[in-house]
Amino acid sequence: MRIATDSYTNSMLSGFNMLKQQQVNLQNQVTTGLSVQAPSDNPEAMQTTLGDLSGQATQQQYSSNITTAQAQANSVYSVLQSLQTITSQANTITTEAGSGTASQSELNDYATQVNALIQQALQLVNTQDPATGQYLFGGTSSSQPPFTATTDANGNVTGVTYQGNTSVNQTQVAAGITAAVDVPGANSSGSGAYGLIADSRTGADLFNHLIQLQQNLTSGNTSAITTTDGTNLQKDEDNITYQVANNGNVQARLNTAASLATTQSNSLATDISNTSGVDLVQTLTDLSQTQTAYQAALESSASIMQLSLLNYLP
Amino acid sequence: MFNLLGSLDMASRAMQTQMTGVDVTGQNLANVNTPGYSRQTVDIQTSPDISTGIGMVGTGSTAVAIQQAVNSLLNTQIVSQQSSGGYWTAQQGALQSAQTSLNEFLNGTGSTTSSSSTTSTSDTGLSGQLTGLFNAFQAVATSPTSIADRQALISQAQTLASSFNQVDSQLSATRTSLNTSLSNGVTSANSLLSGIAQLNGQIASAEASGGTPNDLLDQRQQDLQNLAQLTNIQTSTQANGAVDVSIGGQTLVNDNKITDTLQTYDASGNGSGQLLVQTATGGIDLTLTGGSIQGTIDARDGELATMQSNINNLATSLISGINGNGQGGYSAGYGLTGTTGADFFTGTDASNIAVDSSLVNNPSLLQASSSATANGDGSVALQVANLASSTQASLNGQTFGNYYDETVAGLGDSLQTANTQVTNQTAVSNMLATQQSSVSGVNIDEEMTNLMGFQRAYEAAAQLVNTINQMMVTVNNMKTA
Repeated sequence: MRIATDSYTNSMLSGFNMLKQQQVNLQNQVTTGLSVQAPSDNPEAMQTTLGDLSGQATQQQYSSNITTAQAQANSVYSVLQSLQTITSQANTITTEAGSGTASQSELNDYATQVNALIQQALQLVNTQDPATGQYLFGGTSSSQPPFTATTDANGNVTGVTYQGNTSVNQTQVAAGITAAVDVPGANSSGSGAYGLIADSRTGADLFNHLIQLQQNLTSGNTSAITTTDGTNLQKDEDNITYQVANNGNVQARLNTAASLATTQSNSLATDISNTSGVDLVQTLTDLSQTQTAYQAALESSASIMQLSLLNYLP
Repeated sequence: MFNLLGSLDMASRAMQTQMTGVDVTGQNLANVNTPGYSRQTVDIQTSPDISTGIGMVGTGSTAVAIQQAVNSLLNTQIVSQQSSGGYWTAQQGALQSAQTSLNEFLNGTGSTTSSSSTTSTSDTGLSGQLTGLFNAFQAVATSPTSIADRQALISQAQTLASSFNQVDSQLSATRTSLNTSLSNGVTSANSLLSGIAQLNGQIASAEASGGTPNDLLDQRQQDLQNLAQLTNIQTSTQANGAVDVSIGGQTLVNDNKITDTLQTYDASGNGSGQLLVQTATGGIDLTLTGGSIQGTIDARDGELATMQSNINNLATSLISGINGNGQGGYSAGYGLTGTTGADFFTGTDASNIAVDSSLVNNPSLLQASSSATANGDGSVALQVANLASSTQASLNGQTFGNYYDETVAGLGDSLQTANTQVTNQTAVSNMLATQQSSVSGVNIDEEMTNLMGFQRAYEAAAQLVNTINQMMVTVNNMKTA
């Protein structure tokens, strides 16, 4: 076959272009760690990767939701611990005051202590989430403190009103699965989440029971302290214990969900890497082969280009 | 038998003949890099013999023709190959620009090996932003009173909306530029048609006067190839050397006359720029099957149109899905201050989707709660977030994300096909070009060898002249002596 002079140059040029293009592609793959970057590189892999990326972002969002919920659950837990101390102290006072051996002045001292416990409890149940400023125990109505107290001239609390509602906010922790960390302050509806301070189903009503105890202490009604207040406060203590256990359950659920989200996210990352990632060893080998080929093409072309009959004519 | 003057004449014609050979070689060497040039050879024949008593005596040589080395079958194949090549190259260009408009690429940092993965991959387009929007709704559902989360949601939604706007305007710009290149293609085709008609005239008259208009033939072949790249053509060669050209069954060049030209017209009839091609005078709509003009039309009305409509469909479904359109959804929710009834997204499709402007200045208006009095409730935000995984009847029963990802893959498929086709067509083109070049291309070594041959022959003929001259001197001297 005749080879025209421009056939040389044309085929050299197209060879150089091809090898250069390959080097650029391989170099790009090494830099980005991706074998697929544009939809046309591999439409199927692109579609899978976009789906995986979206799944990964969603799992990361679940993780972030769970972190927020865990922080909230911890805040709730520390309040519950303090409330447990208060109910147990109140129960101790009930036992001691109800024994019949205490004088009226001692009973008055107890009454003062109970009032302090009420104030302490009030402060606790009006705790706000440090991150969001949301009241922890107002249900989903969180624009105002969930509990307000009325006091008499002596500074004794005579009544506490619940201003929140009985709903709880749900947090998504996995696909189609939600968890509620909120505890409503009080629930007299007979359904839904159990109230923290008062609930019609358990008979718990901490503030009213403490107020009643305080009033019975002041009036020296020790029989009522033994018969009524003791029983009532035991219900309150049981209710708080239930809340602590419930909080533990929620935290356990959140931990499980958190590790599930991490596992899922990691597994999607592996999938992305398998679908669109580049095998570095293979790619570097290919790159080095292409470079060698390019070098060989340049050298051979340069020596062929210099040769023609003209070199040998006198 | 010759007399001395006859021999001198033969030597002189031999010199002229070899000189023609040198001229042709020179022409070949000068055009070694000229695209479309076909190498020429001089056709040398012996001059008519003279009958003498001792038999036929030769009278030397003469150059009878300068011929082109061409393979007309190859030329025909190349013309038809140009149409396929032009078609797929135009498709590739249009789809590449659509892919850029969509801006859906994967970004990666670090690298993976077969054993470990250290890559962090992300995407640059709507896919990640769509997921980001629904995730931001989740974050608000988790902390409904957090202004920071609300702000993050609004800014995520603004990013998504402006990406939709941008993709739509880029795709429209791509459509406009495709129409411009379509019009330019038609203009070029018309000028090539008129060039071919003109060359037909010149070739016919040159051939009528017995010449071989090699360079004009090369030029016409180049014009035919360029025209074929724009659109598929049918040609037929006439007895006088003219080539008639028809496009889409309509004869446009007949001999040296243009019988009609091409023009674009808006087939949509509503000014939406669906330009197609028809004959200018006859007004006949042409059905083209190859060439860059049809490639551009097919890309515009095919994948590009599908993609633009899918993106609009996605935006429309997203707007109505999130807003709720009176059936629950965002608009039925309540803001932190108890406001309700507002839409999250305004607009109707990808071109005008935007976030409710009042939200931008006041994130507390975001309607995340199901009750006017429960601002710590995020159930409406959660309901919107869950749309991410719910299938939409308006999106062929797919989720927002899947529908978009499939649109991306659809474009990728079309572009991948175009890329493969262009690679294949280029390979075929290169093969044909090599074949054509092996017939018609100039080889410097060959020309130099020919040149030396002609030079030596010329020298020999000159030596003949010299010898006869000396013989004539001898004869003259005989007289004077």
